[in-house]
Amino acid sequence: MKAQTNNGEGAETMQPYMSVKNVSHVYPNGVTAVKDIDLDIYEGEVVAILGSNGSGKTTLVKHFNGLLTPTKGEITVGGLNTKKEKISKLSSLVGYVFQNPNHQTFLPSVRKELEYGCTNLKMSESEMEERVNKAIELFELEDKLEDNPFDLNSSQRKEVAMASIMAVSPKVIVLDEPTTGQDHKGCKRVLDLVRMFKEHGHIVVLITHDMHLIGELNCRTIVMNQSRKIADDQADIVFSHKGIMKEAGLQPPQITSFANDLSNLDSSKTYLTVDSILSWIKENKEKKEEAVQIGSGS
Amino acid sequence: MNSLYMPKDSLIHSLDPRTKMIFVAFVVASSFIMNDPALQLLLLVALFPLVVIAKLVKPYLISIQFLLLFAVLIMTVHGIYNPIGVTPVFEIFGGLTFKYESMVYASVMSFRILVIGTGAVLFVMTTHPSDMASALVKWKVPHSFAFILLSTFQIIPIIAREAKIVMEAQQARCLDVKGNIIQRVKNLVPMFAPLFIITFMKVHQLSYVLECRAFSRKGNKTSLRETNIGSLDYSFLLGMLAVLVFEIYLKLFMMGSLQLTTDALLTYSLIGTWVVCGFMLIKFLFKRVQGKVGGVN
Repeated sequence: MKAQTNNGEGAETMQPYMSVKNVSHVYPNGVTAVKDIDLDIYEGEVVAILGSNGSGKTTLVKHFNGLLTPTKGEITVGGLNTKKEKISKLSSLVGYVFQNPNHQTFLPSVRKELEYGCTNLKMSESEMEERVNKAIELFELEDKLEDNPFDLNSSQRKEVAMASIMAVSPKVIVLDEPTTGQDHKGCKRVLDLVRMFKEHGHIVVLITHDMHLIGELNCRTIVMNQSRKIADDQADIVFSHKGIMKEAGLQPPQITSFANDLSNLDSSKTYLTVDSILSWIKENKEKKEEAVQIGSGS
Repeated sequence: MNSLYMPKDSLIHSLDPRTKMIFVAFVVASSFIMNDPALQLLLLVALFPLVVIAKLVKPYLISIQFLLLFAVLIMTVHGIYNPIGVTPVFEIFGGLTFKYESMVYASVMSFRILVIGTGAVLFVMTTHPSDMASALVKWKVPHSFAFILLSTFQIIPIIAREAKIVMEAQQARCLDVKGNIIQRVKNLVPMFAPLFIITFMKVHQLSYVLECRAFSRKGNKTSLRETNIGSLDYSFLLGMLAVLVFEIYLKLFMMGSLQLTTDALLTYSLIGTWVVCGFMLIKFLFKRVQGKVGGVN
């Protein structure tokens, strides 16, 4: 099941927004971090990239905004070849939220932080105002605008970092382990934000170890192992494929394992969330009751 | 291993750090005793076999080329403008003359930098930081002071790594780092502000970690890496002593009769440094041009 793309929303006819063609990256010290990757990402997609530490996930996404250029193959983003464009130009198309917000935030107030990307792009005052206000609204930061980002708690700071990337309004947004070190509320917030980005027409690329998050989203999932792409499909299909999960050292969400192990469940389907199992049980129960009623009626 | 230390299997590496510290002191002392360009050049050449023994020729040459920049500047500027010079040696365009006395002064100074630099590079690259700390403790240096030295060596590569991440993070915020010089100076703020904050956070965290592991406990501390002074160290020390005695003898009794420094030597060493520096410059420019041609690299 190698590299077969399944674009759930009939995207085959569309031109991919971002296309990765036969890309390899070898670091100067000789380590091959990414090997022969082919990947097309279409408008409106949410793509999760899974894999154990050191499998090349971060190296791959650093190619999307030109931080790294492929040593072999090429990448086009919105029709631009990443080898030929400036990183600042590509960054306005592909926003990259780093794992640690402390690497990105440095200005004395949240508002300045949000404006920073736009000033780098030398936007006009009115356009900047419009975009920043949009980000403020999206992230509900109205009452924190004058706060110093370093006075906020870590999940709020992460949100500010995310908002400062979104203020430029890039087409693609890359989130590097957005839920790591977040409390339950923070994780839920990330989930809501990802859905909201999708609604607003952004492409979201997630690097994560959070299987629960992927289960909830049931998005396109790419699994990487030892610098290669070993799977690319909807989350439920990938999760049901035991060989791939084992090869990549991944463990599906508990509820999925539970559902897979329950032999009397409908085995052709993979259940990713508690809700989906509950609705299945309910359905089954109703069927049974119907059957009983029919039985007693006759 | 994140420090300047380069693990190799060599005689120099297996020396006790204390011997090597004495060696650095010896190199500094002899560079001041041998107050003559020819003798200093001799010293520099004599140190090179040690670099070869330590199997560090390439990293040594890479790190020494920055010191060479200093040498070129000092030799050129002092040679022409230092007021102690009276006897002209040769003239370059525009009536600028290199004078004998000032060239001697400049050569002594720049060779001294190179000699001490070589000794220091040898020490740092062949000594494991924790070995150095434990050796210092054996010399009754307070443990916390030894640790300060140790952590300084270790934090430099950590900061370098963080700096790279910060740069990428700011580039992801549309910062153009490949601008002109004014642009680059302006970019120092978004680069260094997060870097400073992160470094302070890291150091603060380190202090907690140390306390959690009983750093401030009184009394002797043992070390996992044992260092011992063996026969190799004694022979090395003896050799150094012999050279030192010879140097002092040379200085006291032979200086009058021995005159190695000539106009030709000074001129050639000056031109030599120019040539090497010119070569470095060409290499640098070549890389830049290659980078431009090959795209964003």
